[in-house]
Parts: sequence; C-alpha cells; structure tokens
Amino acid sequence: MPEVKIIAKNFMDMVASLPAMKLDKLYDNAFICEAILRSLPPLAKKYVLQMLYIDSPITAKSMEVWVLPDGSSKHRVAIDRLIQLRVFTETVDRRKETTYKINPTFQTNLQKLLTHGEVLPREPMPSNITVRLPSVEELDVYAIGQWECFLLQLISSAQAERPSNISSSMMKVFQRGLLSQRDKEAPRLTDSGFQFLLMDTNAQLWYIIREYISNSEERGVDPADLISFLLELSFHVTGEAYNSNTLTEVQRNTVKDLTDLGLVKLQQGRKESWFIPTKLATNLSVSLTDSSSRKQGFVVVETNFRLYAYSTSKLHCEILRLFSRVEYQLPNLIVGAITKESLYNAFENGITADQANILLQLTPELYSQIISFLQQNAHPRVAERIPTVPENVTDQIRLWESDLNRVEMNPAHYYDEFPSREIFEAACDHAREWNGLLWEDSKRMRLVVKAEIHIHMRDHLRGQKQ
Amino acid sequence: MGHGEKGRPNKKHKSSAKEDHRIIVEDEDAYYGEEVDDDNRDGEKKRDFTKLELKPDHANRPLWACADGRIFLETFSPLYKQAYDFLIAIAEPVCRPESMHEYNLTPHSLYAAVSVGLETETIIAVLNKLSKTKLPKEMIDFIHASTANYGKVKLVLKKNRYFVESPFPEASDYVLKKLLKDEAISKARINAEVSNGSDGFTISKAKGEIGTGHEDLLSGAEVAAAAEEKETHAFEVDPAQVENVKQRCLPNALNYPMLEEYDFRNDTVNPDLDMELKPHAQPRPYQEKSLSKMFGNGRARSGIIVLPCGAGKSLVGVSAACRIKKSCLCLATNAVSVDQWAFQFRLWSTIREDQICRFTSDSKERFRGNAGVVVTTYNMVAFGGKRSEESEKIIEEIRNREWGLLLMDEVHVVPAHMFRKVISITKSHCKLGLTATLVREDERITDLNFLIGPKLYEANWLDLVKGGFIANVQCAEVWCPMTKEFFAEYLKKENSKKKQALYVMNPNKFRACEFLIRFHEQQRGDKIIVFADNLFALTEYAMKLRKPMIYGATSHVERTKILEAFKTSKEVNTVFLSKVGDNSIDIPEANVIIQISSHAGSRRQEAQRLGRILRAKGKLQDRMAGGKEEYNAFFYSLVSTDTQEMYYSTKRQQFLIDQGYSFKVITSLPPSDTGADLSYHSLQDQLALLSKVLSAGDDAVGLEQLEEDADDIALHKARRFMGSMSAMSGANGMVYMEYSTGRKMQGQLKGKPKDPAKRHHLFKRRFT
Repeated sequence: MPEVKIIAKNFMDMVASLPAMKLDKLYDNAFICEAILRSLPPLAKKYVLQMLYIDSPITAKSMEVWVLPDGSSKHRVAIDRLIQLRVFTETVDRRKETTYKINPTFQTNLQKLLTHGEVLPREPMPSNITVRLPSVEELDVYAIGQWECFLLQLISSAQAERPSNISSSMMKVFQRGLLSQRDKEAPRLTDSGFQFLLMDTNAQLWYIIREYISNSEERGVDPADLISFLLELSFHVTGEAYNSNTLTEVQRNTVKDLTDLGLVKLQQGRKESWFIPTKLATNLSVSLTDSSSRKQGFVVVETNFRLYAYSTSKLHCEILRLFSRVEYQLPNLIVGAITKESLYNAFENGITADQANILLQLTPELYSQIISFLQQNAHPRVAERIPTVPENVTDQIRLWESDLNRVEMNPAHYYDEFPSREIFEAACDHAREWNGLLWEDSKRMRLVVKAEIHIHMRDHLRGQKQ
Repeated sequence: MGHGEKGRPNKKHKSSAKEDHRIIVEDEDAYYGEEVDDDNRDGEKKRDFTKLELKPDHANRPLWACADGRIFLETFSPLYKQAYDFLIAIAEPVCRPESMHEYNLTPHSLYAAVSVGLETETIIAVLNKLSKTKLPKEMIDFIHASTANYGKVKLVLKKNRYFVESPFPEASDYVLKKLLKDEAISKARINAEVSNGSDGFTISKAKGEIGTGHEDLLSGAEVAAAAEEKETHAFEVDPAQVENVKQRCLPNALNYPMLEEYDFRNDTVNPDLDMELKPHAQPRPYQEKSLSKMFGNGRARSGIIVLPCGAGKSLVGVSAACRIKKSCLCLATNAVSVDQWAFQFRLWSTIREDQICRFTSDSKERFRGNAGVVVTTYNMVAFGGKRSEESEKIIEEIRNREWGLLLMDEVHVVPAHMFRKVISITKSHCKLGLTATLVREDERITDLNFLIGPKLYEANWLDLVKGGFIANVQCAEVWCPMTKEFFAEYLKKENSKKKQALYVMNPNKFRACEFLIRFHEQQRGDKIIVFADNLFALTEYAMKLRKPMIYGATSHVERTKILEAFKTSKEVNTVFLSKVGDNSIDIPEANVIIQISSHAGSRRQEAQRLGRILRAKGKLQDRMAGGKEEYNAFFYSLVSTDTQEMYYSTKRQQFLIDQGYSFKVITSLPPSDTGADLSYHSLQDQLALLSKVLSAGDDAVGLEQLEEDADDIALHKARRFMGSMSAMSGANGMVYMEYSTGRKMQGQLKGKPKDPAKRHHLFKRRFT
C-alpha cells in the first residue's frame, strides 16, 4: 500500500497544480479570478493590482526596486506563487533578462470586476417560488448529519442508515488509503484512516474533496470544471436557494454527490428544483485552519480511564470505538473505557503485518492525536478544568506508547549447528571484532549477529571450512 | 511486537455486576491465561440502550438508568446531592470519580434500601423522577421482583426472646404462614399453641418510617402513608435456632430476608447504661447521616456503615452506643486496637471509668454495675480451646448477657465462620459493623449481609476529601526497572519461589525507597510508614536503613514502645511495618506511605494501607478544596517493572481508582544524579545483595503469616510460607537495637538546610 500522507493543504494548492491549459481556461470565469486574488499573500495582491492596467512586460529588476532589501524573501514567495498560479507569466529574453506579464484573461476579468462591481455566479431564487426553506440551524444540522452519515459509510458501509447516491466505485476511491482490505476479510482502518477520523471536519472535508477532484478524470469530468464549480459554489450565500436549471449536466451530477457530503441540500418545488449551499460549501475555500466553527465538546474523561461522551452520533461512537472499549450506548451518552488493549488493538487493526516496521515510527503521532482529540472535544463541564483530560490518563497513554518503543528492531542473522566448539568460538570472536555480536548461547552454540556484518561472517565461516 | 516480558495490564474496569461477583483468582500463575479471555468477554459486554426514550427536560435530570441495573449519575447536576443520597441507599457504587458516578442495582443493594425503610413504589417513583429517560421496564420489574419480599419480615429481640414479626395487614399472616411451612422454621418456633384460631400470632404496634430524607422528591401524600402507625403480627423462635431461621429466609432459600431492629427505647428489661456524648464530640454531617440511617425509625437497625479510614468511624460507633444506652460489646481485630477503642469511648463519651473494660490476653478487666462496655477481640470471643479460669468467667458473662449493641470493627477482615461463632455466642439486639472497604478478594461480602445486616451507609471518599474531612492524598506508582542481574535471576525457572524476593529486593527499588525516605524526612519533615509484606525484605530494608520495624512476632509492649517513639520523638520519623500494620493500628502522625511489597492483587490491602494516612492533618481551611496545600499526604507504591508486581499493582489500585483516586506514574526515581549517595550504587554491592537473596532459604523469603489472619490463608493456598525461626527471633531484638545508632546518623542529616524550592519536585520532574 502506498504511504498516504494526509496533508490538508489549501484549495489553491490544488488549483496551482493544474496544467497550464486548464488553468488558463479556469480564468475565463470571473469568480475564480476573484477567489484567486483573495487567496494571494498580501504582497502578491499588491503586485497584481499594480500591474492590472499595465499591458507590457515588467522586468524582474525593476520589480525588485519596489521592495526593501529585508523584504526580498517575501517578494520571492509572492512572485513564486503568482507564477505557480499562472497569474504572471515569466519570460527570459535574449539578453537573459527576466520579465513578468500578467495573464491577459485574468487581467480582463479583474478589470471588469473593478469597473462593474461584483457579479454573483447566479441569482438566488425569489422567495415566492421557493417554499419551506430550511433555517440556518436546520441547515447546519442537515449538513453535519449528511457528513457523518457519509463518514460512517466510509469506514464501514454496513453502518450507514441511508443509501447514498455515491457510487460504490467512488466510495472505494475515498476509502483508498484509509481502509485496507485483505481478501475475504472485512476492511480495516489503516493508520492514515485512523488519523483521518480524528481530524476536524474541515480537514476531513478537504481530504475528501481533494480525492474527489483528483479522481474526476476517471469519471470523465474535467478537474478544472470541477474546481471552477466548487469555487463558484463558495461564492453562493448559505441558506439561499439557487435554481437547478442554471447548472450544466456535469454540475448537476456533482451537486448530487455534494448532497451526500452535506455541502448542498436539494429541494424540489412544484415546477422547479433548487439547491441550497450549506456552510460546508461556503467554507470550502476559506482557510482550513480556521477553528472558529468548532463544535461544542462532548467528551468527559475520568481519572479511572472511563470515558463519557455526550453524543447521539453513531459516528462518534465509531470514532471512540477506535481507541476505547465502548460499554454502554444510551440515547444521548456513550460510555467507554480506555484500556491498553483498546489502544493497542486500534493500531494492530489498522496496520498490516508488512507495515509492522513502520508502526514504531507512526504510533507516537497517533497517540498524541488521540490525546488532542480528547482535549479538543472536551465537554464544557471539564473544558475549563486544567488539564481537561486527567494527567494520569494522558501519562498512562504516553507510557503505553513508550512501552511500544522499548523494542528496538535490528535486522539480524541467526547461526546455529556449528560443527565444533572451536568454530563457534572463533565465529563469536569474529563477530565481536566487527562489533556486531548481538547474542550468543555458548551452551547450545547459537549466535545472532547484526545483518550488516553477515557478509563478513559468511566469508569467515567459509574460510573456516576450507 | 514485544512490549516487555509481560505487557502491563490495563487499568481495567469492572463493568458488570456479574463480573464483580466473579471470584478473583489469587493464584499467581493463573493470571496470564485469564488475561486473554478478558477481551472476548469485553467484546460481548457492549450494551445498546439507545432506544430508551429521552424525556423532554432530560437536561435537568441527573441520571440514566439502564435495563441491566447500571445507573450513571452526573455529579454536576443541581440535583446531585439528593440523587446521590438516594442512590447510595438503593444501589451499589461501582465508581465515583469527579464528574460521573456509576452504580449498580443489585438484589442486595435493594435489600439494604428496603431495610432502611424505603418502599418499592418509593424507589421506583424517585428513580423515575431523577432519570433522564423513561425507566426501562426491565429495571422496574427487577425492583419489583427483588423487593417484593423484602422488608416483610423482621427479627426482633424482646425480653431476651426472639420474635419473627411481620407488618399487618398487607403481608403478615400470609407471609408468616408461608415461613412456618418451612420445616426448619416451624421446628424453631416455640410456644406454638394454636388456641384462639388466630394462629397464635402475637399482635403489637410499631411506628412507621420517619425521616428517610427523600421527602423533597416525593409528594406529601406518599410520605404520610409511610409514617402511619402499623400493626404487626409475630411468632417466637428458639434463640439457638435464630441463625438457621435467618439463613432459611435469605434470597437463595425462602427469599424473605429478615430485618433486625431493636426497639431500645421501650426495652425495660435491660438496664440502661448512663452515657452521653461529650459536648465536644460533634459528629460531622456524614457521620450524622450514617447514624440517621441506623436510627431512622426510632429503633436501632443492624447493618454495616462504610466510612474511609480516618473519617472517624470510632465516633460513629461511640455515638451509636450512646444513643442506645445499653450494654455494648465492642469487637476489634487485635490488642492494640482494643486499647484504642477503649480510649475512644473515654474520649468521646461520659462513660465512667469503671463501666468500661478491656478483655484481652493481657488485660482481663470486668466492669462494675449491671451495664457497661466491654472491648475485646474477635479471637478472644471465638476462641475454641481451653481458657484460663478467669477468662472462662468473663466469657460466661459475655455469653449470658443480653447486649444492646454489638459493635464490630473492621468487619471486612474477619472470616465468616468467625462471625458466625461470635454471633452465636453473644446475644445482641443490634449489630453494627464498621469498615472502610467493603471489598473482599474472596467475595464473601454477601455473608456479611445476613450475618450482620445490609450496608446502611457508604461515604464518598472524594466528597470527604473536598470537605477537608480526610487528607488529600497524592498517590504515585514508582516504576523501578529491574537491574540486569536481578532480572536474569528472576526469569530463571529454578527461582520461581524467589520471584517475590527478587523483585522486592531489586536494588533500584531499594534506592528509590531510600531516596523517598530522605526526601520526605529532610525536606518536608514528614512521618513515614514503609510497608513490606515480605519479611526478608522488611528486615533487610530496615536494617540497612537503620529504622525500627514491627511485624507479627514483635511483642505488644515493644509495638507500643516503637509507635510511641514514632509519635513523639523527633528522631524517629520512619517506621517499617509488615502487614500487621494494615488494619486498625492508629498512627495519626504518619502522612507518607511507601509500599515496597504487598499481598498480590489485594484491593482491600491497598485501601487499608492508604487509610493509615487519611486522617486529616493541619488546618481545616488549608485542606478544603482550593486551600493552601493541595496534597498533604503521599502514598507511594514501588513496583519493579516487567515483573508480576506490575500486574498486581494495577489490580490493587482498582478500588481506590473507583473511589476517584488517581495514581501518577513516576519513572525517574531515584534521580540519576544521586549516584553513590544512596545504597547499592556499585555493581559489587548489588551482586552481594543478589547472592544474599539467592542463598536465603525459600522459606525465609516468603510471606509473613499471621495467626489470626485466617481468611488470607484461603486466598493464598499453597503459596504461603512461614518466616524462618531464626529470622523471626534473631532479627527482632537486633533491629530495635540498631535504631538507636540510626538516630545519630539522622541527626547529622538533619543539619542540612531545607530548600523550599525543592518541595514537590518529585512531581515536576516526571518525563524529563
């Protein structure tokens, strides 16, 4: 299995990684241009605005004059980003002089935006047509509900309550890297899958969206179209209804998928149908580290390693089950216990035998992730208590962790059946000389040496035979 | 993936009633097999009660009740106090940490509830009022089924005659007739003349229940119903058969468990004892509460009161005796605690000097007048062999007297057969058992339930800590890695009998112990008790460190002398105790315990030992939550890593953890910079120690065995060894001699200035 690194980079990195052609096409869309402008670092924003009405290329030298010497690193970052996003194009002429020029499509669109003002991608539908629009709270509940249902389905399809529109093949794509399946066995969470579940919603969402975009070509959808639509969506207003007629065929299909993720809600009127973006959609392009939208905590951990989670969510139950033993499920409470077994099982479940060697490097991250999950989701009752998770519990979790690290793995070779004691002893001496003797049992004439001296040992033993 | 030879077991939580009643195997070798199937069991234990219907105002209600009897209580609910009082009366506490308590409804806990006067419908109504969800039908059925027969029959001692009594009209004739159908009971009945057609039942009146404390949760009408005067019917039974009759009535037989009550106010036959509480003896709120459970309806109920050590159990005992004002027989576990009880009676009550007497092998006193208090040991009463003429006379007196109160201390340690004997010998109207820990590794708590009575009250340790009534103890588990050489020997098969000696004598443990003693003696000026079950280790440690020690063979006089020195002398700050010190030796000065070896996985021993330092010290306001001193007592348990000790250690801590205590793990003791300051620094010294351990006979390194400790024998089976005679007699005087030389050394050390900045540094330098 390839090593999956879960990096929650931002949406614009994804945009920047598109091929030049696609990127240029993307700038046909005025909202994208605006979104890009918004996402830029401050200095880059200034450059764009400065060059907005200049049609001829500017030399790199003359641009450097704009910044003070100590700002040069910021300058570099800004220029790099602009080139990456193809907002600027870089040319080196015959005299080896570097010049920058602003992308003409981008330029035109942005000029238009400045003079004509912002235009919404589509107008919300008038309220006399749309009826029964959900309130903001209802919409939030809906979005979280959909998202959790999706996650449940993701980690174990048997748990999901409702069938969803997301095809099983697409589900497989999402599960890739998060779950591992060996033939005939039930799929199990991998190390990354484990980390994934402990991340906050925004980070998880971004991971899924990234997979969704990068897989789009297989479904015959242009990733650029998809990115453009998702960015467009983030310019819509949460809770407003937008007519589905305004969507292209591709977009309409995408909206169906996004419904399952909780990004939009679909409603059907008498004649028209419309979609309502939720806050998950409108937050998509904003900074992912924004934690202002943090939900209220729900977990109480006691000094006796008991864990009480005020939650009705099945997903929470599944997450807790990852590292604790769930004992009671009540209508609005989950009761469990953190045990050494439950923690170790979690890792052993997630990690297949051939990965055993990377276990040692990965687990510390997981442990601290569990602890931070418990801390971040602390119930308001204990949130003001310091520490939120009792010290003896976090200590013990760390000690369990360090228990795993007590074993140091050394590749080694084992020798036995020595023909005579002399040869055995000579072999021991030889290994000692190379500083590679790990263990010897002189009674039964067995020894273990470091793998790297195996070749010397072999030569030595061959020499003895002759 | 290896994590040491034996993985450290988890802080496992017992989560079902079933498992709680499982007999805990104390055989060391049986553990490893057991651990494996633990997980399978756990797998099936998940319980899904998500279908229970939440009430709309659930946020205001404090508890959840599950169909299997488990109850969860939020401690931050505004109704917590009321709910807690109620739950402690009807259910068995499983764990009581800070935010969430867990309780189990069991037939026994409901029996206790009924016996303190709660009625079935009251229990259900209050529970329903407190519950966030609709009560599961299973629970309602369970309460009905368990309590249907409870509280219907009472055993009353009147004018030295035993009567089986039942309230009229709802149950009496029907129940009594049913009981009489039983052969054993009908045989036990006396004066059974069926003359006037009414089955010959005696008819009398009794007052209803008052002041159960849950009125605020119920409507007025319900309370009024409970307080009405009720008519009762009764028949008499043969005093010799009382025990049999009681047993026939237990849940596993006829299922009409009998309550024992004593109408002491109307007892004109037995002479009154003139004693009152002295004005300075003011029971604390929880002591008051436990007494109110006992005297709830104007009569005295038999039962057990559970209070942590140091919380003032003796004041409860003395207060009970003062309320009943009849002759009182007080039973303690050993001679030292007999002295202490006699002292407590004189301290708290106005009893006259000649009305209280001690009856032990050393002092055979008799009280004057027709009523008084006798303090003695279980052994003295239950002793089956030949007695001296003098004690025979006293025992005869005890036998013939009708006691108003039988006060039994430390009921958790006394074996059931001993109780049976004691109870059959002494005739008492009311039995009150006192204990700190109602856990027994042999799970014979149920025996106590009918021999003495139900649990009347159990205090919450954490609440008492918060209230400043008992010390706030910092518990720590110190991990001492085995030295290479000791571990190699530990793993050898031929040393299987020396395993314990090897991990206790681990030089790293010794150094940690030495370090802690020095730290607490010199930097905090604390008084320290070191506990070691292993006699070999006890003597080695005490001699090497030049400290006095007390163990089974130490005479009463010498014990008193050492304890006196420990209490008063500035030079004697540390005392080594074998397990004779576990129970009821009162050493209020001590505030640090270092435990270097212990009895396998005994939760009770751990709690009892902690109890030695629970007596609150210093000013009350400093001790209260938010006071100056966060911790004022320290409990260290030293364990050698990778040995059986680790496993036992977690097991032992379970009880305290359930009470809300937490154990910090300290991995870096002694600090690495101590070097040769502490003993056994050089490999040479360590090896010398090792060969000493190995050359000692198997019997010398075993556990100490105490004669009166009969119930422990059952636990340990063949794994117990007598200490060798030479060690017992020879070491005895020697150690006591050496302690005077130790004084000089300590004097020198004392000269070092205290560095206040170093205080508590133990808890700062973890993970460094």
